Amino acid sequence: MAQKPAAKGTNLSGAVLPQVLWKKTGGNYLLTNDSGHHAWLEEKNFAAVTAGRLPQTSPLFAELASKGFIRSRLDFNDLAAKWKKQNAYLYYGPGLHILVLTLRCNHKCLYCQSAAAGLGAKNTDMPLATARKSVDFAFNSPNPGITLEFQGGEPLLNWEALKGTVAYARKKAKTSGKELKLALVSNFSLLTAEKAAFLLANEVSICTSLDGPKDLHNRNRLFTGGNSHGETLKWLKYFQKKNAAPPPGCRVFKPSALLTVSKYSLSRHREIIDEYVKAGLEDIFIRPLAPIGYAKSLWGAIGYEAKDFSAFYLKSLDYILKLNRGGVVIREKTAAMMLDKIINFRYPGYLDARCPCGAAIGQLAYNYNGDIYTCDEGRMVGWAGDVLFKLGNVFRDAYKKVMSSGLTRVCAVSSNLEAQPACARCAYKPYCGVCPVYNYATQGSLWGNMPSNDRCGLFKGIFETLFAFLKNPGNTAILKKWVAK
Amino acid sequence: MVIRRPKKERNLKKEGNRKIAVKVSLKKYNLNTARYAAYAVSDAAYVFIAPSGKGAVAVEFTLKNGSQVTGHDKSHVTRHTSQAGNYMTAAGNLVRRFREELKDEKIRAAVFDANRDLREFMILKALSYDTAAPPAEQEDSGLTPEQEKELDALIAQVESEIKKESAGSGTKDPLGITRTWEEKYGAKTGRKRN
Repeated sequence: MAQKPAAKGTNLSGAVLPQVLWKKTGGNYLLTNDSGHHAWLEEKNFAAVTAGRLPQTSPLFAELASKGFIRSRLDFNDLAAKWKKQNAYLYYGPGLHILVLTLRCNHKCLYCQSAAAGLGAKNTDMPLATARKSVDFAFNSPNPGITLEFQGGEPLLNWEALKGTVAYARKKAKTSGKELKLALVSNFSLLTAEKAAFLLANEVSICTSLDGPKDLHNRNRLFTGGNSHGETLKWLKYFQKKNAAPPPGCRVFKPSALLTVSKYSLSRHREIIDEYVKAGLEDIFIRPLAPIGYAKSLWGAIGYEAKDFSAFYLKSLDYILKLNRGGVVIREKTAAMMLDKIINFRYPGYLDARCPCGAAIGQLAYNYNGDIYTCDEGRMVGWAGDVLFKLGNVFRDAYKKVMSSGLTRVCAVSSNLEAQPACARCAYKPYCGVCPVYNYATQGSLWGNMPSNDRCGLFKGIFETLFAFLKNPGNTAILKKWVAK
Repeated sequence: MVIRRPKKERNLKKEGNRKIAVKVSLKKYNLNTARYAAYAVSDAAYVFIAPSGKGAVAVEFTLKNGSQVTGHDKSHVTRHTSQAGNYMTAAGNLVRRFREELKDEKIRAAVFDANRDLREFMILKALSYDTAAPPAEQEDSGLTPEQEKELDALIAQVESEIKKESAGSGTKDPLGITRTWEEKYGAKTGRKRN
């Protein structure tokens, strides 16, 4: 790494630090900078660095200089390249397009944020014409890679629309020259061999929910039509087998699963993770509940405090690392995405933790009736009766109008961490992001108040855990392996 | 800066004794430092800042209902308790946190002020940083210098017209986020099947 020579006549680092952020943890300081570098300092060294009294001959000086923490030794090209890599999303429009094919669902999950409608509510199915119009809208985005995610309710309840949309989107991708990814989020209970074959043939990736062992999963995810847990495991195995031996000419993705942590999960981290391992899953995506939309009204019964989730997350990650040390292949997905930023200076496509957040400029959600929302969370707030996050409708509004709208702008401005007093001073800022929808739903303003914001508390807990683990050389190798691809 | 006390705040004082006032010298810390430090502890208390004599402000905290501050920041969070005995601990912790934040914020402000221009330069550089390899040397176009000049003038004219047209839309969009795929790249055909 090319470095500028030191200032003449001194062997100290100089009186001024470049722009850095820090956090005191125990007796140590975590330092970060805009480019995403981080370093740990003991208290005495922090005092020496901030006072410009760190000898240039010390190994710490060399480390800090190589990471852009010494003002007289900044390698502008290296720091600029890293910053750009981390913020690559700023150069594209929305890449994720969520199509809500129906609000109907055959499950009644305790924590459902989508407020699923009953099976009879066919008026909440997205007509194929609306789905096609939504695809047209999505392909207007200047992003060279478009991901269409089929969600619900349970999207398999509107199978014909799903089938028609997949075919239409593939055709559209071919003529536009864009890369198209298709994803289905389903509870699997309505899957058949015929439907599965169609999904495989069209390279649709599959994601489901697995909340842990049978009793816990079925307690969270009520399914009067049978055993939700059994159906989930059966189809996970099916897609895993197809992934291991794909049909000729087909690319089959590994199926993935999400864990939504309810208050019933908090004491059972080991059993849940063991269930994932038993199911042959190599990733577990541990997601907290959010008091948004329908879940807000149930919060008293199913919710918990940020510190409860943080404790659960810490125990889970600790156990996952223990399993890794024993040769088991399993990684936690939130950690992996954050580590990709911390270790590789890469943007992992995590729309929830970026600046500005992905609302509108990174993703769009299309409701069954063609209404366009900033994101799925914004749609959930809309379903609860407040359409603040509605950007327009695919039949009435042009792409340019939606992207230039006041709502798009205010979401970008309010999730700009530089404009958030607490975030602009937080050591985790280079890796984090705020959610205007969450802020609005929980604190009544798009900006919110981060010191008392539970989502902020959750993310801080996750970062604290990750940085603490990264300090331990025994864990570092494992964590680096998670993001080595 | 004069900060008037709103009626609501005056009323709060009457509600109980959950208030703590900390005097901050403006000779040691500037007003913004005091404000940001106070904001950092706003998880645990409502804050009111008022002038307090010459060269000082009084930062008045009203503990939020049932909150007990137990750590350095929000990640160590607030615990709900109704025990009056915890009030002193909560108040002590809050003041300690505020004083730590004041010290930290003073360094932050100095670092930020010293780096404002440098940081702007670095972000601008990063935004325009080209990771691609430099283009190969241009081949001889076969045009005479006069023709080259004429062509350059033509390109400049077209670019200026485009610029004028986009300025007329009244919106700034330097990264082209609001432009459609076709506007940005033109329609493509014949690419491999997805």
